Amino acid sequence: MNGAVEGIRLRGLHKRYGATVALAGLDLDIRPGEVLGVAGPNGAGKSTLIRIIAGEERPDGGELAFNGSAWTPSVDWRAVAVVHQEPQLFPNLTIAENVLVGREGTRIGRPWLSGGDAKVMKAFGIDRYANTLLGDCSLATQQRAEIARAVARDAQVFLFDEPNSALTDEESDELFREMHKLAADGRIVLLVTHRLGDLFEHANRVAVIRDGQVRAILEGDALTEDGIAQELVVGRGDETSAKGPAAIGQDRCVLVAIDDWSHSAGAFRAISLEANPGEIIALIGVEGAGARELLRSFGGLESCSGTIEIAGETGDMAQRLTAYVPATRTLSLYSNLSVGENVLARLGEPDIAGFGMALKKRRMRQLANEAIRRFSIRAYAASQGIRSLSGGNQQKVAIAQALNCAPRLLLLEEPTRGVDIHSKREIYRLLRDFVGANNTVIMFCTEVLEVYEAADRAHVVVEGGLSPAITVHDYAHIEALATDIARMQRHGPHDLVNGATRASLP
Amino acid sequence: MISADSREPVPTEAARSSLSSTGQATFDLALRMGGLFLAIVLVALLMFVLKPNSFNVDVGISVLRAMSSVAIMSLGLTLVIVVGEIDLSFGAMYGLGANSLAVMWILLSIPIYAALPLAIGVGAMVGLFNGALVTWLSIPSFIVTLGSYNLLYGVSLWITKTSTFNPVYPPPGSEIPPAELDFFTGLTASFGSHPISLEVVWMLGLALIVGFLLHRTLFGFRLMAIGGNPVAAALARLPVTRYKILAFVICGMLAATAGILDFSFIQTTQPNIGLSYTFPVFAAVIIGGASLSGGKGTVVGAMSGALLLAELQQGLALLSPGPHVQQLFLGFVTIGAVALDLALTNIRKRRAA
Repeated sequence: MNGAVEGIRLRGLHKRYGATVALAGLDLDIRPGEVLGVAGPNGAGKSTLIRIIAGEERPDGGELAFNGSAWTPSVDWRAVAVVHQEPQLFPNLTIAENVLVGREGTRIGRPWLSGGDAKVMKAFGIDRYANTLLGDCSLATQQRAEIARAVARDAQVFLFDEPNSALTDEESDELFREMHKLAADGRIVLLVTHRLGDLFEHANRVAVIRDGQVRAILEGDALTEDGIAQELVVGRGDETSAKGPAAIGQDRCVLVAIDDWSHSAGAFRAISLEANPGEIIALIGVEGAGARELLRSFGGLESCSGTIEIAGETGDMAQRLTAYVPATRTLSLYSNLSVGENVLARLGEPDIAGFGMALKKRRMRQLANEAIRRFSIRAYAASQGIRSLSGGNQQKVAIAQALNCAPRLLLLEEPTRGVDIHSKREIYRLLRDFVGANNTVIMFCTEVLEVYEAADRAHVVVEGGLSPAITVHDYAHIEALATDIARMQRHGPHDLVNGATRASLP
Repeated sequence: MISADSREPVPTEAARSSLSSTGQATFDLALRMGGLFLAIVLVALLMFVLKPNSFNVDVGISVLRAMSSVAIMSLGLTLVIVVGEIDLSFGAMYGLGANSLAVMWILLSIPIYAALPLAIGVGAMVGLFNGALVTWLSIPSFIVTLGSYNLLYGVSLWITKTSTFNPVYPPPGSEIPPAELDFFTGLTASFGSHPISLEVVWMLGLALIVGFLLHRTLFGFRLMAIGGNPVAAALARLPVTRYKILAFVICGMLAATAGILDFSFIQTTQPNIGLSYTFPVFAAVIIGGASLSGGKGTVVGAMSGALLLAELQQGLALLSPGPHVQQLFLGFVTIGAVALDLALTNIRKRRAA
């Protein structure tokens, strides 16, 4: 056990952010020479783990060891390189300068490319771009420059954080080749991604993180996409309390009808979708599959062609009946306003203002307090600053704000990301109440768990296409749903999987 | 259904009484305003101790008169800063307001009753120009208004042919009807046993109007929201473009008004007037607690900032310790106010954590 263990040893890592526990005693061994995959639902602690290994955060407790000796990444950060989906480099410098930057401290003059650096750049195929500005290069080239920069400074640990979500297939293949090369050189390689297929194909082992701990390590025969998909959701299937009535009335009048809906930048093509009142529909897809853009497009936030009809209105008027809530609360809330003001921010005349645009202060207080009660927002007063609320309560404020302008179609992007379980249930209950009043919710999810707990119907978005409907109520276990969704993501949208999946579209 | 959770908070009556965390009622804002008022009182006391003879009602009135044009411009700047933009051009607009009025009225013999609204309209057009470039062309407001600052000064030089104007002594060939001259000087006439200029009344009236606009109307509420988070405001379909342009338009109109009122009081105008007001007005707004990152600012704060600056200016003029002291004070007070702001924010964050 002890002695000179090769690689990184993490024992009992703890990290809290305020009331949120991000890591709850995480143990993990990362060996040199292998690609270790890391999977986990949003908020499971993956990004905290990466930040700790990269030295961007210190753990509250626990031990880190590197090659057998205690290790503080925040001091010894040069050993670690993080490759993000958005390269963290200097777009105003050339590729060569980017490789050099950070090492100029040893000389008075300008640093220059040594023979070793040139070799590294050649090895990563970026030598011909040496004098091109980084900002002018493609994302894939920028990522290669980021890796080359780390190799040139002799980093031993490489953390890949969703590295290929914005790359083409060829570019991803190229990236994975580099990744394997790094591992073959005896470096430590960690790959964090939502794409189960990539984990299956490229990782030697996959650690599944849930609730701040490593819950399973899959390797060998156990390492399959279905295996990962099931581990991601295992033990979570009992949280289905917010499920609405399975039978949606027989009067299948259509509230939302979308036809031949195509994105002008090509994120999705020729989508048709119908939604009934009382329905919660989930669009599930990995980053870059087009699901997020599709959701935004229903609210008129992307430029699209095709027809959209909501409650008898078409085009622009239809989109006015939607309300969109982005995934990040920094995009939906006003940090300078109070809880009450945030709840009312989308309202106008005549709700909160009367003659001469004068605010109806008493009416506003009344509406705000009403909303705080109705949406179970835990605030001691409507005048409380929004930043003092917990993440879950902030999200309730964001949804309350959107619902206040009486939409018929609510568009939610990952509605419970970073939200505690208690608030999550309440949010699902609010959505049920909302669709219960003859409205519709369409939400973009990346987690099967969310689909299982909240949605009536799910569509997988793969490469800009929409899968046939999956009726969530047909699944008794979340594992089966996770397997089917993973399969659809693997094989593309037009593959009917089993009896549980049926086409609902004419 | 209402949750029966025992942690369900029951808003108290005191908490119910206010909804706003920006306009008033928060602890740190009260501290901040308290600090500002304290500074104003302290400076007055200091004057009383150092120069008891000069400490009288007339000096107080002259402070109010001296602050009025800075205060009126700071009202407009507050709106622009609250919505998250910057206006550097209002000082030049002050000059163009006075100069365009002088040219229209004295040189072109347009009756004052028409020339006056036209000059304020020039301010509105300039605001529209600034706002349109900022929103439609997405040019940063700092750059747009830095450019229009120079453009406006250039126009002032051009239309006045670099000459000064005084309606009491019009250039040869021009004639000012006495009734119009009386009307114009009457705008800022003094009244009362301790003569106080009407300009102070204009300032207070405009402060009331802008205060109502910012703190009591949907317009102001949305300005705060847009300044606090423009992306969220756009996603919520708030009229971001229109409101930003309106903020610039009001700022331009108020700057023109300030220039015209000072012209009426001083009765003379030069091409370069107003330019030197740019930074004092910024200082007043910042001292008053507005945040350059937007979403934060009050009319009371801007007015208090202007009052403190005018007080320092008048007081130091009486003490005459030398011209450098006033500049030093302006620098210290501006930085000190923002440092106090940050310190209070940190205290609040620590309390919340």
